[in-house]
Amino acid sequence: MSNLSATIEPTGHAAPASEDAMDTVTRTGSETLSMNKAINAALADVLAENPRALVLGEDVGQLGGVFRITDGLQKRFGAERVFDTPLAESGILGMSVGLAMAGYHPIPEVQFDGFTYPAINQIVTQMARMNFRTRGALPMPITLRIPSFGGIQSPELHSESLEYIFAHVAGLKVVSPSSPHQAYHLMRHAATRPDPVVFMEPKSRYWQKDTVDFDDPGTLEGSVVVRPGRHLTLVAWGGMVARCLQVAELAAEDGIDVEVLDLRWLKPIDAAGLAASVSKTRRAVVVHEAPRSAGLGAEVAQTITEACFGTLKAPVERVTGFDVPFPSGSLEAEYLPNIDRILYGIQRVLEYQRG
Amino acid sequence: MGFNEYWSTNVAELSFPLPDLGEGLIEATVLEWLVAVGDQVERNQPLVEVETTKSSLELPSPQAGKVLRVNGEPGETINVGDELIVFEVADDSAGIVGTVPQDTAPKRRVRLSANLDED
Repeated sequence: MSNLSATIEPTGHAAPASEDAMDTVTRTGSETLSMNKAINAALADVLAENPRALVLGEDVGQLGGVFRITDGLQKRFGAERVFDTPLAESGILGMSVGLAMAGYHPIPEVQFDGFTYPAINQIVTQMARMNFRTRGALPMPITLRIPSFGGIQSPELHSESLEYIFAHVAGLKVVSPSSPHQAYHLMRHAATRPDPVVFMEPKSRYWQKDTVDFDDPGTLEGSVVVRPGRHLTLVAWGGMVARCLQVAELAAEDGIDVEVLDLRWLKPIDAAGLAASVSKTRRAVVVHEAPRSAGLGAEVAQTITEACFGTLKAPVERVTGFDVPFPSGSLEAEYLPNIDRILYGIQRVLEYQRG
Repeated sequence: MGFNEYWSTNVAELSFPLPDLGEGLIEATVLEWLVAVGDQVERNQPLVEVETTKSSLELPSPQAGKVLRVNGEPGETINVGDELIVFEVADDSAGIVGTVPQDTAPKRRVRLSANLDED
């Protein structure tokens, strides 16, 4: 621990000491990667570039994470920078807050979304508001990684959509990548923010491979249109983006040209991006896994309505999970928005009559 | 275990030890293997004929999979609990819980209809 204790500063403003300067990362070209490997690569690059970056969590060190996200990182960067914690999420987040106060950039992992609940106190009462509380004296550069959402038929408390809480907590930023490319670049980006970012990794997309373009990250703020269309905008994030892309292909068979907008940043919401898309298509359906009531879909719908009320052809439709706890195992297929439920949502918008 | 060893193959080894074939038997002698390394076997397919102090019998396969290794030449005695056969099975487990979702062709029942003339 000599390395760490030597660099701890009393305030959060300490810049990395020059003697700490480490590798400069040079990844070029493009590569086909699964999302879990893309995030692994991003974490390696963050650790290499920023000597203040630390990775901590349950089983992230020696094991390399239950989803292999931190595989090999401890071996490469040492057990002082990539380390296992006790099975106590409040401790993981409390330690991260303290490390951030001391000038580090902790990247804690909460192994599964549902395990975040024991850490809510540290996240909401400390991490989210320390910057506000201290009038900027103690910023909280923390990138909180959470394998999120459903889709892998896991047991209870392994499939939560925590944006329903965290997008409402002032002081947090929330982002969810939908592809390996987005995952790599959004992680690189999030890990340089001075604010706490909740990084929601869609665990159902960990294994699908796609091209990561290291040369061109594209825009890193706001939403992205992942499929342009003329008649209707499907708004989704995380694991639902891939499903909405499938739906868009099916809708095209029926002559309906669907635009798919990956919201990406769930806090702050990209109001301008939503307005730009829906002012063109004049119809919108928002899809998410979390229960409907007071879910982020309502915020998206209202944001669209405020910007596009005059030209909307129909009220913004929501296709969401039900107002029940996320069911475990194969029952999740009954709960998650499926292709037909999304198509029904589109049809309701298409056939809406004013007056 | 490295990343590639863990993920790229998408298969796992599953070892099946010699069970206690009677009440308190401690060993059995291999008479004849009915499957060979490389065979794809089905669940309940006879794997091996063994002889105990009580009887000779065929052991059915506890599961489907590809035979990776077998232990014991005909005439050789194996202790209960020792490795008898190792299968290679598809590893579709997601970390410690859950299953890896497969990308399948989307199926639909709902068709869309709209009059977009006014657009």
